[in-house]
Amino acid sequence: MGALDGLKVADFSWVGAGPRATKDLADNGATVVKVESSRRLDLGRRSPPFAGGDRRNHDASVFFAQTNTSKKSVTINLSDPRGQEVARKLVAWADVVVENFGPGYMDRIGLGWDDLQRVRPGVILASVSVAGRTGPMAGFRGYGNSAAAWSGHCDMTGWPDSDPHMPPLAYGDVVAPMMLTVAILSALEHRDRTGQGVHVDVSQIEAMVQVAGDLFAEMPDEKPANSDPEMDPHGVFSCKDDRWIAIACETDANRAALDAVLDGSPEERTPAWEADELEAALVAKGIPAALVLDGKGLSEHPALNAAGHFVPVDHPVIGVAKMPAPPYAFADTPSHVGPSPCLGADNDAVFAEIGLSEDEIADLIAEGALA
Amino acid sequence: MTLLDGIRVVVLADHLADFGGSMLARLGAEVVLADAAPLTAPRAKAWHKSMTRSDAPLETLLEGADILIDDRRTDPREGVDDLAARHEALIHVVVTGFPNDMRPVTDLTLMAQSGLMHVTGQPDRPPLRLPGEQGYALTGIQTATAALMGLRARRLTGKGQRITLSAVQSAALANYREAVMYDQTGRIGTRRGNMLVRGKSGVRQIWPCADGYVTWSMIDNPGMMRAIVRVMEEEGVAGELANIDWDDILVADTDQEVIDRWQGIVETFFARHDRKTLADWSLEHGWGLSPIIRLSEVPETPQMKARGVFDADGVPGPLFAVHPGGAT
Repeated sequence: MGALDGLKVADFSWVGAGPRATKDLADNGATVVKVESSRRLDLGRRSPPFAGGDRRNHDASVFFAQTNTSKKSVTINLSDPRGQEVARKLVAWADVVVENFGPGYMDRIGLGWDDLQRVRPGVILASVSVAGRTGPMAGFRGYGNSAAAWSGHCDMTGWPDSDPHMPPLAYGDVVAPMMLTVAILSALEHRDRTGQGVHVDVSQIEAMVQVAGDLFAEMPDEKPANSDPEMDPHGVFSCKDDRWIAIACETDANRAALDAVLDGSPEERTPAWEADELEAALVAKGIPAALVLDGKGLSEHPALNAAGHFVPVDHPVIGVAKMPAPPYAFADTPSHVGPSPCLGADNDAVFAEIGLSEDEIADLIAEGALA
Repeated sequence: MTLLDGIRVVVLADHLADFGGSMLARLGAEVVLADAAPLTAPRAKAWHKSMTRSDAPLETLLEGADILIDDRRTDPREGVDDLAARHEALIHVVVTGFPNDMRPVTDLTLMAQSGLMHVTGQPDRPPLRLPGEQGYALTGIQTATAALMGLRARRLTGKGQRITLSAVQSAALANYREAVMYDQTGRIGTRRGNMLVRGKSGVRQIWPCADGYVTWSMIDNPGMMRAIVRVMEEEGVAGELANIDWDDILVADTDQEVIDRWQGIVETFFARHDRKTLADWSLEHGWGLSPIIRLSEVPETPQMKARGVFDADGVPGPLFAVHPGGAT
């Protein structure tokens, strides 16, 4: 049994910011039905890397696969009124509806907040967008960089006295879905205790503001880069094998132990060491130290792999590939990471479950409403 | 609206779980900070926000508690497991740096292990961390998530359970690209500064303007390119960009020398205008440009004020907006 067994989620979200949250739910036992369309493919299905380099196969994106583990997929043409009617039947089945469309789209297709509450009283609507669904920027359409620019992250990233610096990936697409998962779970707790549904409205900018709360409290004049107000030495140092090691001394005991190992300052002494050997020597003395890992080091990380952080999952098109698992382990209700769905793989089963007959399904497919 | 009214949480903090406890408090739970490693005053203001400190014995605090957050970044506190085991309904979230291991960690070493530092910064300088304490913040969010899932599971099973969580996994989970890219292609990401590299060429992401900086990139989006060039033409500064059929070229396949020449024209245009003018044009015409807001300016932006993101203490408060709905 998973922690979220029995939870039903109608997932209209795509690319990264919504799907990473519904992955959290699906990996922990929720039934997540991902609503897609072959006429408006999830851009995640177009995102590299592709298994075997096959970018024309919409089921071959490993980016999509790792963002959508353990879910089901149906195809509904939401621009067709009959497709919209099927979507409302799915909403009537669901506990939670998730979306990250552009401003106003859900309203235009008859799935706005008022519509959803009529179709499924007590439903939870979970929205994620760059700036949120209210306020003067409610209509803002942004890209991955937008949240970094508006939240102060871009201003604070980089070396002192340097230009603003963009994070190396769309960090708003990382922290916002994490916040969305928290929002959905807390809304469920509220509903279970009060019977009231709510619309939780997560903004990428605000999620990035939250994770920089310490900077807003301190309001530093300069970018902190790798420095820390409480620790010294605290930085990244080069080693003999062109690798880097991070060292952070919190206490006098740490500093004394570091001096005993290096017999000099890190800047002067670490270049004489192989990075692996130095990391082992420092950790053995209780000093917080770690290799700066690249993609290879991360993929092959012994502790992460031993802990099941990357799970080999067999996918009908991709084959066996490593998928990220939740960072927590439940003693009694373990998570389970299954394959992502091929496009529309669950049409028959899901449409039957929400009350469509075989003839209705066949007709709607033939007419392009379920495509 | 507070979603977690009636939920009682006890927190033993040591950097990894502080934000997680604060998140549950900001959602309306009654959260008692029973013990915490020292933080600087600004960090305590942010990461301990809305929690209530208590010197009462843990044994007393656990009476009637739903959740115990047990941060074991350094040595575990004595007797906690025995006390927790006495409460069948208690959700006991145990947070360590490494999975089931007491290896020492700090925010810096967590970010080093996440793979993110390796790709952040300039190619000719050391790896750089993201600003603030992202390793701790990411672990805090996962702590709150695990606790809330534990509540949901308790409704299914009728009892609490022990949940273990590691910070290094929480930080690594934030890196959605580097490991999978290596697994599938053998390619290893590198630090590119502010260059966005696609295909054979790289484009800028950061541009100076009259009163600061904006972010925008010359990417393969013909509609966006036409929209910005149209305004540049009106201003008489489009130069050769006015004669390009954007449907007919792929920026990613264009020589770097040509890209640089085109970017020079855009740079001159941006330098003539301030952030607000450029951002307003972007909103009106769909350029995908954003002004780069200084940290000190963020709390005063109209969007933050309209949504009540910052409290009077200058620290962000509500985690997200909640709009009430109807009953089941």
